[in-house]
Amino acid sequence: MFLALREVRRAKARFGLLTAAIALLVFLILTQQAIQNGLLTAFVGAIERQSAPVLVYSTDGERTLQGSVIAPPLERRIRAVPGVAAAGRIGQSTFTVRVDDREDSDAAMIGYDRADLGAPDELSAGRLPRAPGEAVGSAADFSLGDRVRVQAERAQGDAGRALRVVGLARDAQLQVTPTLFVAWPDYVAAVEAANPDVKKVLPSALGVRPAPGVSAAALVRRVNDASEDADALTRADAARKSPGVAQVRRSFQVIFLLYGLVAPLVTGLFFLIITFQKSAALTLLRAIGARSAVLVRSLLVQVLLVMAGGLALGVALYAPLSQMTLGSITLRFDPGAVLFWSVLLLVLGLLSAVVAARRVLQIDPIEATTGGGAR
Amino acid sequence: MSIALRELRRRPGRFVVATAIMTLIAILLMFIGGLLDGLTKGNTGAFRAQRADFLVFSATSQDSLVRSRIDTAVRARAERAPGVTAVGGLGSLQIGSRVPGHGPRDLVPVVLFGYELAPRGLPARPPARGEAYADDVLRSEGVRAGTVIRLGPQRTPIRVIGFVNDTEYSGQPTLWGSLGNWRAAQDANRPGSRVGPGVTQALVVRGGTPEAIDRATGATHTVDAAIRKLPGVSQQESVFNQIIGVTVVIAVVVVALFFALITVERVALYGVLKAIGASSGTLFAGVLLQAVLVTLAAGAVGAAAALALDAVIPPGGIPFTTSAGRLLASVAFLLVAAVIGCAFSLRRVLRVDPAAAIGGAQ
Repeated sequence: MFLALREVRRAKARFGLLTAAIALLVFLILTQQAIQNGLLTAFVGAIERQSAPVLVYSTDGERTLQGSVIAPPLERRIRAVPGVAAAGRIGQSTFTVRVDDREDSDAAMIGYDRADLGAPDELSAGRLPRAPGEAVGSAADFSLGDRVRVQAERAQGDAGRALRVVGLARDAQLQVTPTLFVAWPDYVAAVEAANPDVKKVLPSALGVRPAPGVSAAALVRRVNDASEDADALTRADAARKSPGVAQVRRSFQVIFLLYGLVAPLVTGLFFLIITFQKSAALTLLRAIGARSAVLVRSLLVQVLLVMAGGLALGVALYAPLSQMTLGSITLRFDPGAVLFWSVLLLVLGLLSAVVAARRVLQIDPIEATTGGGAR
Repeated sequence: MSIALRELRRRPGRFVVATAIMTLIAILLMFIGGLLDGLTKGNTGAFRAQRADFLVFSATSQDSLVRSRIDTAVRARAERAPGVTAVGGLGSLQIGSRVPGHGPRDLVPVVLFGYELAPRGLPARPPARGEAYADDVLRSEGVRAGTVIRLGPQRTPIRVIGFVNDTEYSGQPTLWGSLGNWRAAQDANRPGSRVGPGVTQALVVRGGTPEAIDRATGATHTVDAAIRKLPGVSQQESVFNQIIGVTVVIAVVVVALFFALITVERVALYGVLKAIGASSGTLFAGVLLQAVLVTLAAGAVGAAAALALDAVIPPGGIPFTTSAGRLLASVAFLLVAAVIGCAFSLRRVLRVDPAAAIGGAQ
């Protein structure tokens, strides 16, 4: 143990470089994990946060609110499915808005005609809309009291629809865009202001609540059996199966796998080389009575030190970055990810030292007298 | 120099793990770069294909094609702007499509574009009503010339009469037809987005100056600027480039670490070589040569892996694409990293004292 620590102290540059490499890898992995989580939340957070336990899209909508349109005959058919206790219209469009006197920006708007089937299920501040012209905003983008004007088409000649933010919902963005939840009449008014050619505003989806005794999954099956044009999903599935979500996850998994391989390989290579370099000294130590277990323990202590140092440094770099926002993506410090990657990289780091440890165990003390240890 | 090459030939095992690590880093760089290129290609193809100087959006649309509405009055003003030689309308509809041979719930997402000024690869005269050219990505969905695709809940039929390539938009394959086609499909399937007669989402303009057209419309961009304003394009480019940057720094550290260790091992040998007349420059050149060769080998294996990955990823799986430029740039980044990493060993090579080598004090 003493030897292990002493060697680290005397070869600061070498061990420092390895620790820096591990720290950079840990930092990159954790940062990308935060970006992935933030991206997915900003992508489908509003779906996860809305209150309807089952969402019914049109099959043509491909599981997106912006692509789905529920025509009146389909709406009637869904409402008539046995096991539907209540159904509410949910509409979604993206508008150009001006918040207070700031510059124009984008905002996704979700309109609902029943607060228990489409409004956010939980607010981080304020309250749900009670009067016309009130809205709940995504907490990352809006503040209570914000005045939001939905910009009307210039040809309309009016100033657009005005809304006041009376509530905030955390992690409630859609399509990485600031998001507003409003009552159905306000939604219809906003759509009509933005597009004077619109004749009738139809819902993008229906929020459905199952009757007592009917599970959400069972209701999904019944709705889907009732019409080929209806695509019902539980709330969790609607978020998970949203187009792009699986693609984002797959892409990041490949990146994580590659980084996860680089970290132990770098550690393993480093300790293998320095074990070779120390062969003569290690042989001499064995010849004067040091047990193999002691030498292997020293090696593992060094691996642990380097990995722990790299992890600590990497997490220290990640911590301030995880408090930032990247555009509309809110990053967050994820203790679960830190724990998972710390344990995984520590285990992989120790495993990577197996080759070096085997080399230590193979040392024959007799080589000290023949010079073989220096080979 | 020849000693460095001889060492690589005679003791390749010593460099295998370092090459493996550099190969992984090369694959990482190429994969991340390929992902960025794939995402960008899939999002921007329809705009890149435009043979135009400017794209014009409505003033309140935030340069979003879906939200933009250009009416006939705005169009007339753009047409009258000084220097403008041609103006064409452009409309888009993102929608699910039913392709023969697919199940009733197995829809293919497409973007139907209506155009007047032909983009690259399309005939000057837009196809007749009910017909369209398809992006060749749709071939992987079983679409052939003559296939009738049905769009949206109203099953609006579109017959494919030919193919065009690299025109994807928003990560989806496209169909290119007349403005009338687009308007009819939009009005039938998206009543909330219907447009009046003569209304388009954007204008494609040849000639003129952005200032002059802007005075008439309000939001004029060169095609390149319009591409950068597409949702997420510049943000994802910035995030991916930062990840690539940190990965290159990791490569620098790995090379520095590996060759620092090797140099420490060779200090006695370098002392002897210096004692018999080898200069520090020659010795360092040897280290550098080994680093460059290891990196080139890693780059070659990495490039082969990236190409293999590109070949095996099914269409629609991961938006990954390889290009010679990306692969060469990745290898160039790694070579720079190798040279910088090697520089860490330079100090130790310079410090080697030949007298100490002769005295056996190393």
